[in-house]
Amino acid sequence: MTAKITIRGLGHEYVNPFTRERVLALDGVDLDVEEGEFLTVVGPSGCGKTTLLNILAGLLPKSRGTVLLDGREVTGPGPDRGVVFQEFAIMPWRTVEKNIAHGLEIQRIPREKRAAIVRRFVELVGLRGFERKYPHELSGGMKQRVAVARTLAANPEVMLMDEPFASVDSQTRITLQEELNAIAQATRKTILFVTHNVEEAVFLGDRCCVLSGRPGRVKALVPVKIPRERRRWKLLMSDATFDAAKEQVFGLVREEVNVGREG
Amino acid sequence: MGRYWEIASTWIIILTAGIAAWSLAAATLPVPAYFLPPPAAVLSGFVELTTKGMLPTYIGESLRRILLAAVIGLFVGVPIGLTLGISRRIADFAYPVLNFFQSVSGIAWLPLMLVWFGFGERTILIAVNYTVFFPVIFNALLGVRSVPQIYVNALRTLGASRWRIVRDVLVPGALPNIAMGVRLGLAYGWRALIAAEILVGANGLGFMIFNAQAFHLTARIMLGMAIIGALWVILDYFLLRPLEEATIARWGMVQR
Repeated sequence: MTAKITIRGLGHEYVNPFTRERVLALDGVDLDVEEGEFLTVVGPSGCGKTTLLNILAGLLPKSRGTVLLDGREVTGPGPDRGVVFQEFAIMPWRTVEKNIAHGLEIQRIPREKRAAIVRRFVELVGLRGFERKYPHELSGGMKQRVAVARTLAANPEVMLMDEPFASVDSQTRITLQEELNAIAQATRKTILFVTHNVEEAVFLGDRCCVLSGRPGRVKALVPVKIPRERRRWKLLMSDATFDAAKEQVFGLVREEVNVGREG
Repeated sequence: MGRYWEIASTWIIILTAGIAAWSLAAATLPVPAYFLPPPAAVLSGFVELTTKGMLPTYIGESLRRILLAAVIGLFVGVPIGLTLGISRRIADFAYPVLNFFQSVSGIAWLPLMLVWFGFGERTILIAVNYTVFFPVIFNALLGVRSVPQIYVNALRTLGASRWRIVRDVLVPGALPNIAMGVRLGLAYGWRALIAAEILVGANGLGFMIFNAQAFHLTARIMLGMAIIGALWVILDYFLLRPLEEATIARWGMVQR
C-alpha cells in the first residue's frame, strides 16, 4: 500500500485576536493515510481535529511541517480534496440537483455528462424524487446527503469529513453512518473523517486515530479489523472485535480528557 | 384565502367609516370649502383631471422618473455595493466618504443642484438617483458581508475561482439584502422625487400638489397625496414583492 496523504511534523499555531495569546493547536503530527483507507480521527474537544482537517483541505495555512497528497505539497484548497462540513454547506439558492452538480460545473463538465453523473449520485445517496427541491425544504439528514453527493460527484482523490453527522438527530445519524459505510465500500474512496464520537469513529474507521489534548498529537492508531459488509449496527450490537476496539479508543480518549482537567 | 378576505373586509369597513366621517365633518364644520373639501370633491377632481389628461401625464412623468432611478440603482448602485462588499480595501477607503454623502440627503442638495443643473429634468433625476443610491449600495455591501464564510469555503474546496465564488455565492447570498436595499432606496427616492418636483416645478405629481396650493385647490392637493401613496403601495405590491417571492422567498431566505 502507498500513502495517499503523508503528514510529517505538522504544527499549527494561532494568535488569539483578543488576548494576543499564542495558542499551539497542533504540534508534531505524523500521520499516513493509505490509498482507499477510511481513517477516523477522534480526540477531546479543542484537540485540533478540525484544524488538522482544515489544513488538509488547504483552508488554513500550517505553521510548520509537511502535508503531501500523492507526494505533492498541499498549499491551498483544490478539487482533489473534497470536504463535507458539519454545517450542511450547500447553497440555499440551488436545488438539490444543482447543488450536486456544482463541482462538475466548476470543472466545466458538459451538460449531458453532468446530468448523468448527478443522477448516479442522487441515486447513491437516496434522494430520488427530491432533485428539484431547495435545501430549506429538506431535513438535516437529507441536506447532508446532498453535501456528500456534491463532494463525491466532483470525484476528489480524498474526501475530508468534518463531524458531518454531528448536527442531525441520533436516528438519522445511525442511518447516515450505515449509508456512508456502504458508499465507502462502493467507491473505495480515501476518506478522513473527524468526529468527537468514539462509537462513530470505530464503526466507520479502518483505523482510528486518537489525538492527544492540546496541542494535538497522534497519541495512538487503533486498527478496526471488521469487514465493510459486517458494519451494520444490528450486526455489531454484540461483536467482540467492535467492543474491544471501542473500549480501547474510549480508554485512550478518556486519558486525554483527564489530563486536560488536571492541567 | 380566508385570512385575505378578513383583512380586505376589515379595511373596507374602516375606509367607508373614515370617508363617511370626513364627509360629515366637511358638511357640518364651520370652515370654508377650501379648508376641508368633502371626499366627493376629491373624487370629482380625479374624474376631471383624468378626462383632461393632466393626471395620466403627471403620473406617467413621476413613474418614468422613479423607474429610471430603479434601473440605474440596480445596474450601477448594486455593482458598486457588491464591489465594496467583496473588497475590504476599497470599502475601507470609500466608506467614510459614502457615509458623509449619505447623511446629506438628496433634498438638502436640491438648492445647490438648482443652481448647477437648473429648474428642469436633470435636477430631478440627479436628486432622485442620489437618494436611491445609498440604501442600495449599503445594503448590497452588507449583503455580501453577511454571506456565511462556510459557503465560500465549500466552493473553494470544489476548486472554484474567485470570480466563480462571486457569481455563485456572494451575489445570490447578498440578494435578500439587495432586494431590501432596492425597496428602501425606491421608497426614499419616491419621497425625494415628490420634493424635487415641488421645487423644480415642471410637471409630475409633486408639481401638481404644489401648484394646486397656489390656487387653493385643496381637493386637488389631497388627490395628489392619495395618488402618491396609492402608487407606491401598488408599485411595492405588484413589482417588488413578486420579485422577492420568485427568488429569495423560494430559497427560504426570508421569513414570511
